[in-house]
Amino acid sequence: MSGENKKEWTPQELIAFEERVAALFNAAKIKAPVHLYYGNEEKIIEVFREIEEDDWVLCSWRSHYQCLLKGVPPEKVRDEILGGHSISLCFPEQRVFSSAIVGGVLPIAVGIAMGIKRSGGENRVHCFMGDMTSETGIAHECIKYATNHDLPIRFIVEDNEKSVCTDTREVWKQKTLTYEDGKNPRVVYYKYQTKYPHAGAGVRVQF
Amino acid sequence: MPMKYFDELSRAMDLLAANPRTYFIGQAVACAGTAMTNTLKNVPKEKLLELPVAEEMQMGMSTGLALAGYIPVSFYPRWNFLLLAVNQLANHLDKMPLISNGGFRPKVIIRTGIGSERPLHPQFQHVGDYTDAFRLMCPNIEIIRLEEPENIFPAYQKALEREDGKSTILVEYGDYYNEK
Repeated sequence: MSGENKKEWTPQELIAFEERVAALFNAAKIKAPVHLYYGNEEKIIEVFREIEEDDWVLCSWRSHYQCLLKGVPPEKVRDEILGGHSISLCFPEQRVFSSAIVGGVLPIAVGIAMGIKRSGGENRVHCFMGDMTSETGIAHECIKYATNHDLPIRFIVEDNEKSVCTDTREVWKQKTLTYEDGKNPRVVYYKYQTKYPHAGAGVRVQF
Repeated sequence: MPMKYFDELSRAMDLLAANPRTYFIGQAVACAGTAMTNTLKNVPKEKLLELPVAEEMQMGMSTGLALAGYIPVSFYPRWNFLLLAVNQLANHLDKMPLISNGGFRPKVIIRTGIGSERPLHPQFQHVGDYTDAFRLMCPNIEIIRLEEPENIFPAYQKALEREDGKSTILVEYGDYYNEK
């Protein structure tokens, strides 16, 4: 894996990448779902300041920014998106794995971290999830296990306050999320507002 | 004289334990608790990881360990317990080669069983045999039923040495510990 030519992304460049994907999707050039980021650019760039080249990054169905920031060439990310793989982007060379299933990557991330610790490695795992995922049983199990066993892993909760269209706090009847208080040093939490819907780019596309 | 079912399982575990990449994980691997535990008596303690009861987490951890370079041997004493790990099995371990264009091919060895019915019948949540259903759900994972003692060692040897990147589920019969 080579990071010599790794690009430093600005917030404006990330936004422009997603806008190009949105335009392609709205023009029916992508015959598969896309899940776009917006509004979290500065925060996710900050998160990536602590991510090293040999680290692992695990994501959900919304992962374009992570792929770019981890150093996957943008044309390669775009080609995979055009190929219909946006919801589960995987780039072994850059150690990026994504899953389109809620909470799917969390125990996999814990297993990678356990393997790193057992081998005496110095790299780490960074596992991204949304607000609804952070309230699932599998999230609680994985964060508890990783914390108590001091595994080399960090969980990043990205809170856009909803899951598809469901209000996370309302359906759980709680005003604050479990990991919102910042008390667990293994959990990074941030909130953002997106301009995009859960899937697609806001235009009904007839394929 | 041919070896018995239990002895062949123990011999297969010894084979796995001799590989530096294997790591045995699950409930009742480092602690006593199931018939399977007794087949691990020759496995070095540092290769045994006792886990909490968290079946889905265990299966995901198995996949993650494999991505990190290990060959995890993941224990689910009965099919009925493995049902709780289906998301990680069918949506992730089985599909990972597909969604990664063949880039990620984690090799996991999963040991499960059909609960014994004799002399005690544990009733209907412990004796399920879901081999056929799992073959439909997981076309990229090989599922091998261990029908006879002489099938056991070659099946584990294949699971360990295979280079096609596939994972293997090995299904044993609880009743055969006493009967074969």
